[in-house]
Amino acid sequence: MSLGRIDYVILSVYFAFVLGIGALMRRRVHTSEDFLTSHRSVPLWITSLAFIAANLGAQEVVGMCASGAKYGLMTAHFYWVGAVPAMLFVGVFMMPFYYGSRARSVPEYLKLRFDEKTRALNAATFAVMTVFSSGISMYALGKLFELVLGWSFTASVLLSAAIVLVYTFLGGLTSAIYNEVLQFFLIVLGFAPLAILAVNKAGGWTGLSSRLPAVMTQTWRHLGDASQNPMGVEVFGMVAGLGFVLSFGYWCTDFLVVQRAMAADSMSAARRTPLIAAFPKMIMPFIVIVPGVAAMALSQMGLGYALPAKPGGGPDYDLALTTLMAQFYPSGILGVGITALMASFMSGMAGNVTAFNTVFTYDLYQSYVHRNAPDRHYLWVGRFATVGGVGLSIATAYLASLFNNIMDLLQLVFSFVNAPLFATFLLGMFWKRTTGHGAFTGLLAGTAAAAATHGLTVAEGKGGWIGVVHTFPSTMAQNFWMAIFAWSVCFTVTILLSLASRPKPEEELRGLVYGCTDIPGDHSEPWYRRPGPLALIVGVALAILNAIFW
Amino acid sequence: MNDLRIPIGAFFLIAGALLVAMPSARAPLTQAPVNLYAGLVMLVFGGVMVWLARRRS
Repeated sequence: MSLGRIDYVILSVYFAFVLGIGALMRRRVHTSEDFLTSHRSVPLWITSLAFIAANLGAQEVVGMCASGAKYGLMTAHFYWVGAVPAMLFVGVFMMPFYYGSRARSVPEYLKLRFDEKTRALNAATFAVMTVFSSGISMYALGKLFELVLGWSFTASVLLSAAIVLVYTFLGGLTSAIYNEVLQFFLIVLGFAPLAILAVNKAGGWTGLSSRLPAVMTQTWRHLGDASQNPMGVEVFGMVAGLGFVLSFGYWCTDFLVVQRAMAADSMSAARRTPLIAAFPKMIMPFIVIVPGVAAMALSQMGLGYALPAKPGGGPDYDLALTTLMAQFYPSGILGVGITALMASFMSGMAGNVTAFNTVFTYDLYQSYVHRNAPDRHYLWVGRFATVGGVGLSIATAYLASLFNNIMDLLQLVFSFVNAPLFATFLLGMFWKRTTGHGAFTGLLAGTAAAAATHGLTVAEGKGGWIGVVHTFPSTMAQNFWMAIFAWSVCFTVTILLSLASRPKPEEELRGLVYGCTDIPGDHSEPWYRRPGPLALIVGVALAILNAIFW
Repeated sequence: MNDLRIPIGAFFLIAGALLVAMPSARAPLTQAPVNLYAGLVMLVFGGVMVWLARRRS
């Protein structure tokens, strides 16, 4: 694939706009809260789109298209089961505590609700995870552009990182959020034509379905038995593992996304942020997954289109998106598509960097290094943390290019830490008897349970480093069950330890726990501005989508 | 900057105009004037964003 002059012009115009937005946002930054939390001033429609754009990194876009080609439309479960229900839950039930507690970050909420050690554990693991996640994403983008466009790995990594650094350094969280909205529209308008063209070429949805096995175009019918679908997952693993533990663990507790809602200009807007975001989230599978499904149909039509083979044999699904772009996009819209890929990377990276600098400044630096400095000091620490976060991300990208196995190991360790987290929040927000000792010990026990599950089971040659007591049909099934065990152990241990230790007095739990908090009523609002009716509409739309593609 | 819709609208107006200016470009697997159609959609989208922002101000 090669780009024409107009493609580079479009890419340059995009860079100019994101930098321009950063420069304009700089005028709004006067305090550390302006820089790190947007001073809770961002309008609802912007926080809503940023809420999903921060999650829409390059790996998500490329990876979901690849999964569409490999597993078919079942991949939509990552949206319809693995995202939207959790988004409804965080908006309706959890946001009153995040926003109402006046916490500036998720780890700070844990400090207010539990204690310092629980905050420290969450803040430290989260800060390291965001840097590595950003670096690994950067590595993936650099390798992709090197392979597809022949660009230098170093040039791709440094150019994109430099632009993200400039606009986040200048305008902080507001600049990142505003740019995420531009990036969201670019991703939608840049990739939607590809889905339309690919499906149309495959004969529409009917033609596409007739060329592929039924399991590739249906979502639920083949989940009765793990052996009946390419994911190797059965319905309980899907619903409990992905739909509950992993999904709620990410969308309800990960500061990267929760931070966008916490930047909203009112409690009502913060609660509606994930609910409004759920509408575009529901349709994203048609933009990022369906092209991958169509790619498999097109490869059987004798059109000269086929997925490239991997060096070890078998199709390279990761190239589904870019090979489709090469076949369907002429110069011009190709530039928009490549710019959309770059935008998806930038929105993911900026999300990680802005979450990192907030947690570093407030939860690590202000708490453990320098407590009572003037606000201007923390503003500069936030800016230096931005530079440090980008620098560490670049270093991680190069580390990944040298030691790919170490990156796999780190991602695995992080998944151990993440898996039990939702149990801690669920008990912390909805059971006032939960204690700090219980939460901390439960988190450690859940992490150990995740590691033990991985060590005692094997899937596709992975795991089993303690011994093999069970073999999963796929690593996806192994991950889902690892999360289920980790969550269950964390939940149980937290309850047992909480019952054996002294709880906080109720007056210290006001604004933090259900039953000790007056949640502002919304009965004076029109129905379309109330979380309950909005969640109901999303739920009905979700049920209809699942029924159509059952 | 008071309204994010202005830079978003301006970006898509520019991108749309660039695409519409190249209607004859074709890709291997389609004979459709993809640039023209996508460019028109972007022009309309950009125009709507700017119009919404101006109406508010």
